Amino acid sequence: MATQETEIRELMKRREYGAGFVTAIESETVPPGLSEDVIRLISAKKGEPEWLLEFRLKAYRRWLKMTAPQWAHVQYPPIDFQAISYYSQPKSHKAGPKSLDEVDPKLLETYKKLGIPLREQEMLAGVAVDVVFDSVSVATTFKKKLAEAGVIFCPISEAVQEHPELVRKYLGSVVPFGDNYYAALNTAVFTDGSFVFIPRGVRCPMELSTYFRINERNTGQFERTLIIAEEGSQVSYLEGCTAPQRDENQLHAAVVELVALDDAQIKYSTVQNWYPGDEQGRGGIYNFVTKRGDCRGARSKISWTQVETGSAITWKYPSCILRGDDSVGEFYSVALTNNRQQADTGTKMIHVGKNTRSTIVSKGISAGQGQQSYRGLVRVLETAANARNYTQCDSLLIGDRCGAHTFPYTEVRNPTAQLEHEATTSKIGEDQLYYCRARGISEEEAVSMIVNGFCKEVFKELPMEFAVEAGKLLAVSLEGAVG
Amino acid sequence: MSAAYQQAFERFSGTLDRGDRDRRQARFERFAGAGFPGPHEERWRYTDISGLAAREFALPAAADIDLGETLLAGCDHLVYVNGYLDRTRSTAAALHGVAAAEGPDDDGIAALNAAFDGGGLQLRLASGETLPRPLNVVAAIAAPSAPGMVHQRHRIELGENSQATVVFQFAGRGGERLATQRVEIRLAPGARLMLYRVEDEAAGGTLLSTIQASLARASTLRAVTVDCGGGLARHDFNIALDGAGAEAALAGLYRPQAGGHVDNHAQVVHAAPHCRSRMLFRGIVDARTRAVLNGRVVVQPGAQKTDSEQRIANLLLSPRAEVDAKPELEIYADDVKCAHGATVGRIDETALGYLRSRGIDAGQARALLLRAFAGEVLARIGLPALRAALNARLGFPAEEPIEP
Repeated sequence: MATQETEIRELMKRREYGAGFVTAIESETVPPGLSEDVIRLISAKKGEPEWLLEFRLKAYRRWLKMTAPQWAHVQYPPIDFQAISYYSQPKSHKAGPKSLDEVDPKLLETYKKLGIPLREQEMLAGVAVDVVFDSVSVATTFKKKLAEAGVIFCPISEAVQEHPELVRKYLGSVVPFGDNYYAALNTAVFTDGSFVFIPRGVRCPMELSTYFRINERNTGQFERTLIIAEEGSQVSYLEGCTAPQRDENQLHAAVVELVALDDAQIKYSTVQNWYPGDEQGRGGIYNFVTKRGDCRGARSKISWTQVETGSAITWKYPSCILRGDDSVGEFYSVALTNNRQQADTGTKMIHVGKNTRSTIVSKGISAGQGQQSYRGLVRVLETAANARNYTQCDSLLIGDRCGAHTFPYTEVRNPTAQLEHEATTSKIGEDQLYYCRARGISEEEAVSMIVNGFCKEVFKELPMEFAVEAGKLLAVSLEGAVG
Repeated sequence: MSAAYQQAFERFSGTLDRGDRDRRQARFERFAGAGFPGPHEERWRYTDISGLAAREFALPAAADIDLGETLLAGCDHLVYVNGYLDRTRSTAAALHGVAAAEGPDDDGIAALNAAFDGGGLQLRLASGETLPRPLNVVAAIAAPSAPGMVHQRHRIELGENSQATVVFQFAGRGGERLATQRVEIRLAPGARLMLYRVEDEAAGGTLLSTIQASLARASTLRAVTVDCGGGLARHDFNIALDGAGAEAALAGLYRPQAGGHVDNHAQVVHAAPHCRSRMLFRGIVDARTRAVLNGRVVVQPGAQKTDSEQRIANLLLSPRAEVDAKPELEIYADDVKCAHGATVGRIDETALGYLRSRGIDAGQARALLLRAFAGEVLARIGLPALRAALNARLGFPAEEPIEP
């Protein structure tokens, strides 16, 4: 599609600036700090309409009145929001490594183990090369196919220009501007993200993935995603990729909003492997994300699947508001913490409509000195007759210095509701390991096999090729956890 | 904070000797500073008592109230009415005493309790001693005219391999009331304590109770708690398994009366290896009531071979009722067995149909099923008099011996 091509051309142009006119690049970056002026600047640079600027400012003013939440079971020094630069797009490549030789050899080793092609390795590590050419043709073919189906899949900043009525109607309708501290911050300063619109009755002809969106590479720390599935439509969206992503940003505060109308289905899969910091817990990403799906229509379905292996701190609760009668919410999660990683993750299922059903399957794996928490809320309102929930959260501990925690909240106001919650915590059985070792399987391989078995219920929910990669990813992430 | 608390404290502390007054003054100031916890605090998310700050409570005068059949047969008694020891009805009056509060206060409520503490049970058993009869402690409060408050602190210290059974009954009737009851328990190696706690606080009353227990090596605490009042009750259990092989088993049943709000916060900390903990809570939650259950098991680093289980089951019987359950686990050791489960549901229609098909009318069938559901907890009560009294209070059909 034309827009995509223009976009790529734009991107290329900016790159050239980067090579030729250093000053031009600098003007793209706002000095660190957050104020109304910065927000006005971001909005102006993106040529946004007045209502969006107002929306941002409203969120910012609310954010100023809020305090950073303390309830999560994670520890980190306070974040200095004035030390962050809120607009730097594209990210200056001169700060990045010039070639793979300059990239951390450990990162490269991991890429090799995951079997990632060289070109992709360069892209992931942030090396300033023209990788785009490979993807242009791919991207345009996809664009064409999607356009034929009537699917809109573009950066959200582009959608603001091209489809303002849709963005205005749905943006902030699932995650209100003042929903929580980090969502408010995101609303004030978000720079880009994806926009997906699946029209009535359309089954999206392919899995949508940010991975193919070449311009998606440096969306930055305040990503905003909005997916709308109209009546009877279906879409499967995959975010992230399996290779660890080099990123200099400390704080990532993204917001994802999903809207499913009558009979629509959205499947949202995430493989998150941001830089987790080193063995000593230095560096790494703070991944503070608000993800929420609104089953607005009857018989709609939203399914979240996540594999979380990266980030120094993960703090996210992909949720479903089951508003439509007979709507279904699902949450499948594998979260792994190794070394000094911390994760406080889970879901919220809010049952509003009649005969709504939700399923939660959460698998937490904790190794090294990792701290892993499942935090889930199942709320059944008075109106939600015959609501059903099944929750299963299992923890696997590897080593005696890690932690596994569970905080399941249930709030029920309807007597016809049926809720079940089950949880187990265990370590890898000596007998299981012994059995594998006796059959000539190395300890590392045995652990990886057992962990994969532990996660099978979740992996089977992932699109095929990613399930395979996710398994590999777990094995790599667990390296050094045993022995 | 209303001025009434300050006035009540001045009136109360005026009667004390100087050292005691200074100690309590410090506690009161801490309470005045901290106040009551608010709903923004995670631990108080479902129970809002912040309104208590504006109330105007005074320490009530001594009164005589009809305790009916509250006093259990076959037990020694220690009876308090409005915080005053009732010597005529107390056969174990010698066990009454006031002990200065130790350590810092956990929160404003603990400070309030320490400032006003009017004394309570002081039970100390020497090594190898066994309490001959169960001890029944009744703390009743009636505030017929003005809003009244009572604060008591009880202490149980069992020496090595000693044994005791203690029943606490907290009840309140009449006008607006506030009671804080704190039970501090210390078990030496091998000691065994069977503890019962029954709450029957009528509408208009607020009961804030805390049971704080520290268990040494191979000691055992078994507790059964029952809530059947229509007021607001909040119970905190803080049980620390400090010595290897210690065991705590906690079973609770709650069936609040209309308008009632019951909040149980049970925490067990496994601080030593080879300890065992069990939590079993069952709730029957009917119209205009709300039940909150927060179980929390913490396994500290090094507490290997921990064996713990939390089971929470709720029957929600009305669309005007609410259940909030949260069985938490915090685990910092790897060789542990920790399970927890929570369910919320209604009466099984099939079981109801089965009973009705055998000629049992709907009301009776329902009552039988509820009794069976509650039976899991009530069966753990080893005192027949208490079990029968609770069975009647909870409105279950009397237990009949099965004919051969």
